Amino acid sequence: MPALFFEGALLGLSTGFYCLTACLPLLAPYLMAEGRALWKENVKILLQFLGGRLAAYLIFAVLASLAGQAGKYVMPGWLLPAATAACGLTMAALAVFRISAGPSACLLKADLNPFFKRLPLAIGFVTGINICPPFAAGLLRLLEIADVPRGVAYFTGFFCATSLFVSPVLLGTPWLGPRANDIGRLTLLLAGLWYAALGLTGLLTGQWA
Amino acid sequence: MKPLRVEREKILPAALFALLVLVPAFYFSGLIAGREISRYYALAWSLFAAAIAFAIAYTERVAFYRRIFFGVSALAFLFHFKTGLFVDTFEASCFKDTPFCHIAIAPAFLNYLYQQYLALMSPGWKLWGPLTLGAAWVFVTLALGRGWCAWACFYGGIDDALSARPGRPLLKLGWFERKFRDLPAALLVFLLLASFAYMLPVYCLWLCPFKLTGAFLDAEAPARKIQYALMGLAMTALVLGPLLTRKRIFCSYLCPFAAWQAFWGRLNPFRVTADAGKCTSCLVCVAACPMAAIRCAPGGQPEILAYCNLCGQCLDACPGGGFSYTVFGLELPARLSPFGRLLAVKYFYVFSALTLAAVFSALWGPAALRDLTLLVRGGQ
Ligand code: SF4
Ligand code: SF4
Repeated sequence: MPALFFEGALLGLSTGFYCLTACLPLLAPYLMAEGRALWKENVKILLQFLGGRLAAYLIFAVLASLAGQAGKYVMPGWLLPAATAACGLTMAALAVFRISAGPSACLLKADLNPFFKRLPLAIGFVTGINICPPFAAGLLRLLEIADVPRGVAYFTGFFCATSLFVSPVLLGTPWLGPRANDIGRLTLLLAGLWYAALGLTGLLTGQWA
Repeated sequence: MKPLRVEREKILPAALFALLVLVPAFYFSGLIAGREISRYYALAWSLFAAAIAFAIAYTERVAFYRRIFFGVSALAFLFHFKTGLFVDTFEASCFKDTPFCHIAIAPAFLNYLYQQYLALMSPGWKLWGPLTLGAAWVFVTLALGRGWCAWACFYGGIDDALSARPGRPLLKLGWFERKFRDLPAALLVFLLLASFAYMLPVYCLWLCPFKLTGAFLDAEAPARKIQYALMGLAMTALVLGPLLTRKRIFCSYLCPFAAWQAFWGRLNPFRVTADAGKCTSCLVCVAACPMAAIRCAPGGQPEILAYCNLCGQCLDACPGGGFSYTVFGLELPARLSPFGRLLAVKYFYVFSALTLAAVFSALWGPAALRDLTLLVRGGQ
């Protein structure tokens, strides 16, 4: 089992750069919009995000291992575009709510609906189920392993190593001020609209089928 | 109409100032344009810049004459380069191989850094950007800062010239101006991330109104249609926006380079500074600023935002003369003699901006003059 954990970690270390490019456009706007000049708050956001990713990886690990056992692999193709669209729309809705609430000073008073506070979890989940080249390589290996506990160990290793590439995003956050938050909200709106359009296009054109 | 009165004591200092601009402008534009066409065209272009310098020093009005130079330069670019894309007679002589666009550089900066990393790992790294385009950008930023968008950008001149057309705005931006003034900064952050994620120039593909071609758009029909629609939207913002609002809508809300330069432009020492003591809260400056870069701060005083590109429009507009060019907020001691007047920050700035803009536009200005000559002569 440890051997499989390290094998997954090795794959993650060698390909983590791709994870960074896939995660940043979703995570960074949220952090910029909702982050504070306090490590503690921003670490909470990152942990939620990583939690969402881990959940997605583990679900995949179980599904892929089971599919490997059955000798075939079936994945709900609509899941990625649907999750992307839902996540994008929520990001855009949060941004609109924040922007329309007025300048940043007053915003601190308007607290967020707890639903929005869990958004990083959803963002993490969407980036987790996004099949990038390293992720696809991991999936193939899982089909080969075809064993649930060993598959979970493999993807936990992959998750830990790729998280090392994403975590430095926190380094910039202690400088987040109200103005950066204002810019972040508009960025969140743009990113939300972009991902909503991407997801809806995927669903409408059935490109996942 | 006021009778034209020649102020003799101003002629010699203005001529000296024009000469100071002419000499470096001609030397460098001769080098640039002279590679492909006769240096007489470079001389003509430099004389045009010198005439603008003369007019500014003589009348002491920066914004009006700056706008003439900026607009003509942008028109020359459109005429020479963009028509060259479609008409063989005017085959573009500059940028033959690589279209250069500063607007595209900012949102693809992370990709650029990544390429530098790859280049560093390969034996040919010396050939890469930092020594060429990167160095040029650092130089421009140090010499001109945000003034780039008021003097040199070949696209901004279109927006700027059009924003001068209507006498009064037909459409007031109101809450949009307050809520969305940071849109270029947000666009820049988003485009940096998206370009990095897709390893593609996302701005060029999806938004740029200037490409005027669908040659490199997405091959898939639905995406292509959206790309055309967004290009149309950006083009509307560029042409109709300033005509309706008297603001440079594209530059103020959709250009990622504006945010980029607003950030890095702080390295440049020149500023436009408002003197609160002279302000009567008439808000004329807020209406006059084409970049929507003046906000009414609490207490009714003008607050100049980082998006100010030092165009000088507010200097001309303020009835109390409350705005001035400064170095980090400081003016030089006033000198009243005709030649001593030239030792004001304003003229150091105009010299720096106009000379650089004249040299940079030598990439297309002289060639456009040649095209025009060909056209008049019947296209041989
Ligand atoms: S804002 Fe953009 S388009 Fe406008 S002048 Fe500046 S660089 Fe050019
Ligand atoms: S604040 Fe003044 S100098 Fe700056 S962009 Fe506006 S009008 Fe031009």
